[in-house]
Amino acid sequence: MDPQLFIWLVARTTGMASYAALCIAILSGIALRTSVLDWLAKNRPLRALHDWTTWLWIPLGAGHVVALLLDKTAQIDPLDVVVPFQVPYGPLQIGLGTLSLDLLVIITVTSWLRRRMNDELWRWIHRTSYVMFVLLFLHAYSSGTDFNAPAVSAITWAAAGGIALLGASRIVFGRLPE
Amino acid sequence: MPSWALKLGSLCITLLVVAGSYDYAKLHLKNAAAPLQPPVDGGSGPLTPPAGVSPTPLPPLVGVRGNRTRPPSTPAPFLNLQPGVQATALPAVTLTHVS
Repeated sequence: MDPQLFIWLVARTTGMASYAALCIAILSGIALRTSVLDWLAKNRPLRALHDWTTWLWIPLGAGHVVALLLDKTAQIDPLDVVVPFQVPYGPLQIGLGTLSLDLLVIITVTSWLRRRMNDELWRWIHRTSYVMFVLLFLHAYSSGTDFNAPAVSAITWAAAGGIALLGASRIVFGRLPE
Repeated sequence: MPSWALKLGSLCITLLVVAGSYDYAKLHLKNAAAPLQPPVDGGSGPLTPPAGVSPTPLPPLVGVRGNRTRPPSTPAPFLNLQPGVQATALPAVTLTHVS
């Protein structure tokens, strides 16, 4: 197989898989503050799952970024990974991905440093996970090569819809009754 | 459900997505309906030569010994043709240049 073709396949695969891993991370995070997954597990195992998913999306997200950097057709510079809206084509679509990645890094690093941080500050930073997911979804919707495939689209929309519903419920009602 | 089961389940789901995504991408290498279509080249036309390179001139289609005139050819024998088909009055091409 042509190396560039393989890199292109890796970029698409890791993009979709990292989206799935992040969906699990966000869902488990919301479940900690609601009772929707009480039937599945208590808070302690859910918290362990939420922390564990970090080690799923980090290699997948890194693989997605590295593959796009190596892809000669994508024309992504290292600076585009951090600074959004600088890509010569599709600046908005790819910039949304850059923004979501920036937020994701901030959220993750601050979570690792939670004990050294002000608790209220950490909570507000962590709440930007919802914003991060919206940016990620818009990035996938506007630039994903496979987003319009029926199966991919159905799963992606379903995951996003479920997270949106749970997130809205969490914001409006707080902890949902059993 | 214990935490190890949740972790294992999430790992299995993620690996399933990886495998399924790779298979799908391999079967659908190109997607004309993809929202982004980056340019393949650096912007130059497909037939534009690089700067500083001029096309190699073709050699003249003339024999080394000079431009020979074609010797007069003898008229070709008359052919029995199908009705509606007429023989031409032009001399037949019976001789070619000798290299």
